[in-house]
Amino acid sequence: MHRYILKRLLMLIPVIIGVSFLVFFIMALSPGNPARTILGESAPIEAVEALEEELGLNDPIIQRYANYMLDLVQGDMGESYKSGRPVFGEVMSRFPATMQLAAGGMIFAIMLSIPIGIISATKQYSVLDGASMIFALLGVAIPNFWLGLMLIIVFSLNLGWLPSGGMGGWQNFILPVITLGTGCMANITRTTRSSMLEVIRQDYIRTAKAKGVKQKIVIGKHALNNALIPVVTVIGLQFGALLGGAVLTETVFSWPGVGSFLINSIKAKDTPAVMGCVIIFSICFSIVNLLVDILYAYIDPRIKSQYS
Amino acid sequence: MSVKITNLNVQYNTGDEVVKAVNGINLSIEKGKTLGLVGETGAGKTTTALSILRLIPNPPGKIISGSIELEGKNIFDYSESDMEKIRGDQVSMIFQDPMTSLNPVMTVGDQIAEVIAIHQNLKKTNALERAKEMLEMVGISGERACEYPHQFSGGMKQRVVIAMALACNPKLLIADEPTTALDVTIQAQVLNLMQTLKEKYNTSMLMITHDLGIVAEVCDEVSIMYAGKIVEHGNLVDIFDNTSHPYTKGLFASLPNINKRSEPLQPIPGLMPDPANLPSGCSFHPRCKYAKDICKTKVPVITQISDTHNVSCLAYEKETIDEFGGIN
Repeated sequence: MHRYILKRLLMLIPVIIGVSFLVFFIMALSPGNPARTILGESAPIEAVEALEEELGLNDPIIQRYANYMLDLVQGDMGESYKSGRPVFGEVMSRFPATMQLAAGGMIFAIMLSIPIGIISATKQYSVLDGASMIFALLGVAIPNFWLGLMLIIVFSLNLGWLPSGGMGGWQNFILPVITLGTGCMANITRTTRSSMLEVIRQDYIRTAKAKGVKQKIVIGKHALNNALIPVVTVIGLQFGALLGGAVLTETVFSWPGVGSFLINSIKAKDTPAVMGCVIIFSICFSIVNLLVDILYAYIDPRIKSQYS
Repeated sequence: MSVKITNLNVQYNTGDEVVKAVNGINLSIEKGKTLGLVGETGAGKTTTALSILRLIPNPPGKIISGSIELEGKNIFDYSESDMEKIRGDQVSMIFQDPMTSLNPVMTVGDQIAEVIAIHQNLKKTNALERAKEMLEMVGISGERACEYPHQFSGGMKQRVVIAMALACNPKLLIADEPTTALDVTIQAQVLNLMQTLKEKYNTSMLMITHDLGIVAEVCDEVSIMYAGKIVEHGNLVDIFDNTSHPYTKGLFASLPNINKRSEPLQPIPGLMPDPANLPSGCSFHPRCKYAKDICKTKVPVITQISDTHNVSCLAYEKETIDEFGGIN
């Protein structure tokens, strides 16, 4: 098991190289001049050229990437073009806000989706099942920035119940968490339902019933534990979608997290800041998926025996 | 426990068609006796067994009519929670396929302990102790109680299933082809084990099988099932020595004969009819070598041949017997 975890952590290295390479090149190839952005439209051309030279923007792309990676392995993510402060500090100061939002969205999604999925599966083709599947379909189909705007219009603008943005009390959490978690919830609901449907037809469920186990326990213990593997997989993958979704949700709700910072950095062509955000997001995503794989072993003893 | 099944009809409604799995069967088992239920795959044996536990998957399955009495009480009058008290305690079942009958994510000890904890109101630790005793009884070391099903061989899994079924000393044990998935040496072990335990606790048993050898070894009476009906019923002598129904004759004829090894096997021609589209008259007539025209139209009733032996065939009915001129 330890060996497996170590192997998986080492796999992070190629992931980071791949992600950073892609993002670095996309940033370099997209139009716009960072030196011009930093100095402003009215700055003299000489000053811009001098800054370009200083930032190394005239070097070949490969060399710039190599320089960046050399700094990165020494723990230096560079300074933001825009603020001039170290990127690592900039990202980390916003990271807790994003994590709170992502965790909130995930908890909201899990708390609702698993019970709905179970009820749908046990009452297949009932009105309840139909309603929850339509709900799940809508959840997948509605883009979260649109949902966010609609929620703001209804609950902030018209009803005035909840704040439309910013961080503060628990009220500020509600709309962004719903916005972020809905798509995720829809996906987990559908997976829970289909996985449960498959499991409740298995012979061992009949065995459990033949033992006189109560229906509630048959479903909640015997069936659910067996249905969890695909559900946990989807939760892990959805976490990635959640980080991506946070970028838009944070922008809609002026949430001071990494997502809104990332959007602003992309607009300013602030390559070091964008790289920093993306690398930290991908490390996060990889670690969550590693946790999911470790969780498999605790859910299914057959998988555990393969690890050791 | 005495069991009496009267005129049981079970159908599966799949939307496109109605599958008539069990069509008006009558069975009875006396206390401490073993009834063998013999028939081909798809004859309705498992459906009959699941009906006794009221575990027919609904939808699509539905018990259309009939009654099942355990100790004289009709189980269709019971509530679901009454049935939960009966299942695993008074009536328990050994399923056909040990590979898929155990929950893969629970230890075998927990799975056995669960049934004990439910019905005997024991604490989990005490139930687990008892589960270990049950494992020892079926010849598996009690220390293996904390292992998972995938760590056991097929024969051991079936013994775990048996331990689970016997954990609460049931009054009726339904064994649905308990040895089909096992190899021959393990089959003998499992049968011996069941026989010993049955004698020890005076359990009634319904033994579902398509193996006539097993019937001869463990059963007191036999019912032959074809297309959801009992076509012949009797004790071992009636069925093995005075075989009457053409289908039963066919079953015996298709057994290999050890003294005539070079002789080709004589299977019953044709296939089991589609239960969604049963033939008119006697459902066996398309495959029956004695069939006459009347078999296509007239449904046979049960004819009593002796006190213990009855058969459902027009060749034995008073009104039609002359048409056949005796099929023996």
